[in-house]
Amino acid sequence: MSDQDKSRLQDPAYMAQRAADCEREIKKGIVGQEEVVRQVMLAMLTGGNVLLEGMPGLGKTRLVSTIGRVFDLSFKRIQFTPDLMPSDVTGTNIIVKSEQGNSFSFEPGPIFANLILADEINRATPKTQSALLEAMQEHTVTVGNESHVLGEPFFVLATQNPIENEGTYPLPEAQLDRFMFKILVRFPSKEELKDIVALTEGSRPQAIEKQMDGEGLLAARELIGQIPIADAVMEHLLDIVMATHAPNPHIREGASPRAAQALIRAARAKAFLEGRLNVSFQDVDEAAYPVLRHRILPSFDAISQGVSEDDIIRGILAAKRPQI
Amino acid sequence: MEQREFLNIIRAYRRRLDLAAFLKRLVFALGIGGGAGILLQTAALFVPMYYANVYTAVAILLAAASAVLVSLCRPGTMEQTALTMDAFGFKERIITAYENRREEGPLFVLQRADAMEQLKNHRDRIRIPLWPVWKKTALSAVLLAAAVALALIPSPAKDRTRELHRIRGEAGEKEEEIEEVLKQLEQLEEETLTPQQKAALEEMAESLRSSMAEYGQADSAQALQAAGDKLNYKYADMSSRMSDLAQSLRDGASASAMSAEAMQAMAEKMQEMSGRPSSGDRLASGQNGQSQSQGQGQGQNGQGQGQGQNGQSQSQGQGQGQNGQGQGQGQNGQGQGQNGHGQGQGAQGQGQSQSGQGQGAGRGTGTADLPHDYVSIPNAVADSGNLTGNVGDHSDSDYFRGQNGLSWEGTHMSHEAVIGNYERNAYEGIAAGRYPSGMESVIKDYFSSFN
Repeated sequence: MSDQDKSRLQDPAYMAQRAADCEREIKKGIVGQEEVVRQVMLAMLTGGNVLLEGMPGLGKTRLVSTIGRVFDLSFKRIQFTPDLMPSDVTGTNIIVKSEQGNSFSFEPGPIFANLILADEINRATPKTQSALLEAMQEHTVTVGNESHVLGEPFFVLATQNPIENEGTYPLPEAQLDRFMFKILVRFPSKEELKDIVALTEGSRPQAIEKQMDGEGLLAARELIGQIPIADAVMEHLLDIVMATHAPNPHIREGASPRAAQALIRAARAKAFLEGRLNVSFQDVDEAAYPVLRHRILPSFDAISQGVSEDDIIRGILAAKRPQI
Repeated sequence: MEQREFLNIIRAYRRRLDLAAFLKRLVFALGIGGGAGILLQTAALFVPMYYANVYTAVAILLAAASAVLVSLCRPGTMEQTALTMDAFGFKERIITAYENRREEGPLFVLQRADAMEQLKNHRDRIRIPLWPVWKKTALSAVLLAAAVALALIPSPAKDRTRELHRIRGEAGEKEEEIEEVLKQLEQLEEETLTPQQKAALEEMAESLRSSMAEYGQADSAQALQAAGDKLNYKYADMSSRMSDLAQSLRDGASASAMSAEAMQAMAEKMQEMSGRPSSGDRLASGQNGQSQSQGQGQGQNGQGQGQGQNGQSQSQGQGQGQNGQGQGQGQNGQGQGQNGHGQGQGAQGQGQSQSGQGQGAGRGTGTADLPHDYVSIPNAVADSGNLTGNVGDHSDSDYFRGQNGLSWEGTHMSHEAVIGNYERNAYEGIAAGRYPSGMESVIKDYFSSFN
């Protein structure tokens, strides 16, 4: 971002335009999956972590690397395996020999980057998974008695495979709650698949250009946090979250207050991406799916009847449709 | 300036929304009123309900008034209006701008500017229909039309209701009239009157109360007519008796002149109310024993005159008067009473002239010492056969044409109904133990023979 651009970091219209440019640029490298790109963008603009769930080969890693390039962020990929240790993620103290003698020095792990791709996070042991908790929530890493602050912006984009459950460790609810979004990456259509093949197997792959840097991203996040929400819209948003706690045969446990916070941020970011400085009912409704689907625990009835989390959310949204 | 314009736009839409809400409520309320009207009118087709139309109109008007009242009490707010406007594709820009209209932060200012710009550019999107959806309007109209149509459909119950209402109205007037007469009668009862005179007045009052009760129970034109005829007769009779009383008061030393005058005035008033010839003529003819020559009205007078005549006849000749009395007893087969008087007079009249035969009334079953009323006889009897002579098995009784005596139009009942009534009364009597032992089986056999 040039000096002239930096002077316009507080200009909402300009920043919204830059964010829209970023989204457009990401879509150059990712064919189809527009909803996924949009939701990842929302998480980026609000500083949320994302859990991507989908079959292997759907472009999850490519998406993260593209985002890294577009936002000019340092990018690290951690392949989670059962034998991965927490220190492999966070880093560790090592003995350093020098003329003054031996001393411990902290060697940062791969988590010290702006953008972390935690690939197949459910394959690591809970101990290793929990190593991410502090980083995701506090943006710090504690090794020994020393806490190390992670650089901003910091995002974790974790992936998990929904079908290969053997030898996996499902993420506990506490950790799931740390993810702002759970995004379902669906199989592309035939047309999209054709474009994907053309893009990746062609002779001239699309060049991805930087559109915004970390500083711009933080400035956008600050602007987004100031976007006003009308009382009626806020009521609607809270009604949705509270509805997950109302008696419902398909819900065993409802969403946490963190869900309401995430929903507000996501709705604001969506409005911002669309160039609006206010939140609409539609913003809230569309953000509800990725925010709530991993925070609702479906009941046995729901599982046995094949009712998905998205079906439950759809029902809640239909019941809570604003009456004007 | 821009903010004022922004608020003015919202206010304009609020007025329109209020009007639309009012019309929506009105259509809904009229539908409800129409539904209530249909229920009322449907009920009125089968159940006597004279004021069904009024109730229907009131229900519809009340519904409409409630719509007006609710609309006045619950006008739309600016927030609601802004939200409604936002629903036309403004994505809650307007409500956000309205709620934050006093915020001064740069983002708020920009947001308001964005909302205003959108409003200016796309105001044509906002289309708030005034009238509710046509289906609801049509439904309400159909309900109202159905209520009106039902109100216009004739039915026996409605005819009967109208007739009953008219009868009740007339009966009510008559009851008031009788009340007034009763009050005046009460005022006439002075201490100076003799016990007999007081008893006569009390008897008149009792008779009038009986008429009042008849009016109270009148539920048909025939019953009303019969009650009217009776009342007129009673008025005439009472007029005559009161004239006599007035005369006796004048003659007597104890009564005040005031009482006599008041009584005479009352007598004249009653005569007027009876719609009959003036008491002077009547009395004169009665004294002459010739009054019954002119139709039913006069025939009824015959009794009043009979009484007068009776007194006169006694002064002229006891034999005839007694003769009359004896005949009365013979007719009734029960002995004395008003009827006996009547008959006696009839006989007297007969003796003096041809008029005293109006004693068809003597066919009644009144007894002498009890308050009585007049009864009607069936036409079949009144019109049957000769004016004089024996009829049927009553070899010792005379029957006279009712025209000259006390008779009213009889009512027609089916044979089965009459038998049914008798049978019911008989069985009730058996149950109450009113018959001598051993007679129960006779009565039961008798009625079972009809079956």
